Amino acid sequence: MRLLSGQRAFVLQRLSALVLLAGVAAATLRLAFGAPAGLAEFRAWAAQPLAAAVLLLLAGALFLHAWVGVRDVVLDYVHPLPLRTAVLLLVAGALVLLGGWTAVIVVTHAL
Amino acid sequence: MRFRIYRYDPDKDRKPYWQDYEALLQPFDRMVLDALTRLKEQDDTITYRRSCREGVCGSDAMNINGRNTLACITPLRGLAEPVTLAPLPSFPVIRDLVVDMTLFFKHYHDIRPYLINADAPPERERLQSLEERERLNGLYECILCACCTSFCPSYWWNPDKYIGPAGLLQAERFIVDSRDRAAAERLAHLDDVYKLYRCRKIMNCAEVCPKGLNPARAIEHIKVQLLRRSS
Repeated sequence: MRLLSGQRAFVLQRLSALVLLAGVAAATLRLAFGAPAGLAEFRAWAAQPLAAAVLLLLAGALFLHAWVGVRDVVLDYVHPLPLRTAVLLLVAGALVLLGGWTAVIVVTHAL
Repeated sequence: MRFRIYRYDPDKDRKPYWQDYEALLQPFDRMVLDALTRLKEQDDTITYRRSCREGVCGSDAMNINGRNTLACITPLRGLAEPVTLAPLPSFPVIRDLVVDMTLFFKHYHDIRPYLINADAPPERERLQSLEERERLNGLYECILCACCTSFCPSYWWNPDKYIGPAGLLQAERFIVDSRDRAAAERLAHLDDVYKLYRCRKIMNCAEVCPKGLNPARAIEHIKVQLLRRSS
């Protein structure tokens, strides 16, 4: 698989979709059968190492999925190269920042 | 029967316009191409392509009542009036219903639409088993009318880079051909963010193909083969 091939993004998008699908299904089941009584209980659950790892995995999948999706939209609709580069950099920067912020929240809470 | 036809002659017109016609049909006029022939008798400036008039050559591909198809195999009966006839969407118009297919055929040539086999030729011919021949069904029938490519939004956004459903269907036709020896190179050539991966499976291609083919399925099969080769 070449680094800049379309296949890499294609595979990432589908794998991340599967992870998100599993996450949504698990969250739905948890909410339907044994939802946390309140925020304190949810925070206690999120502080467990396994739960934190799952949340990080889901966040990673979400941001990767968003990147491939937005990148595809930009490739389709934004044709001037300088503008396209700027938009892609902006999107990538925003997603990295948001992803980093999410990781900091999850990890500091679990420690 | 009433018709509304897209008219544009770049030598005379500043911009395209619609022109209304009343076709005086004969009892044996059954297809849209028959009606166009009648209209051409009334107004010989109407310009369109046609050749075989039986759905084999693909020359008279056009947009009829909002849907890409071949005029020669589209029955007049059942069409809502006025029947609107427009050139294939997104293709540059040369005149009236005639479009410029240069880019379309450039993509076709890009997939190398011929068998590549450097093996020593056999005494008579390269034979195929029934199963090997079966794999070409649903692919070889493409007549390159461009109905699918012109109706594909992914092609509208990147016509210069995305090969489009017709070209990719043809690519698959040679990738799966047992007599071809260049499947790996063909797949490597297609592993590109633009050439192949602009397809979003909107399925307009399968919806409008006048031969009933499914380019979206062929595209998906190319992606699966690429995945298998890389794993």
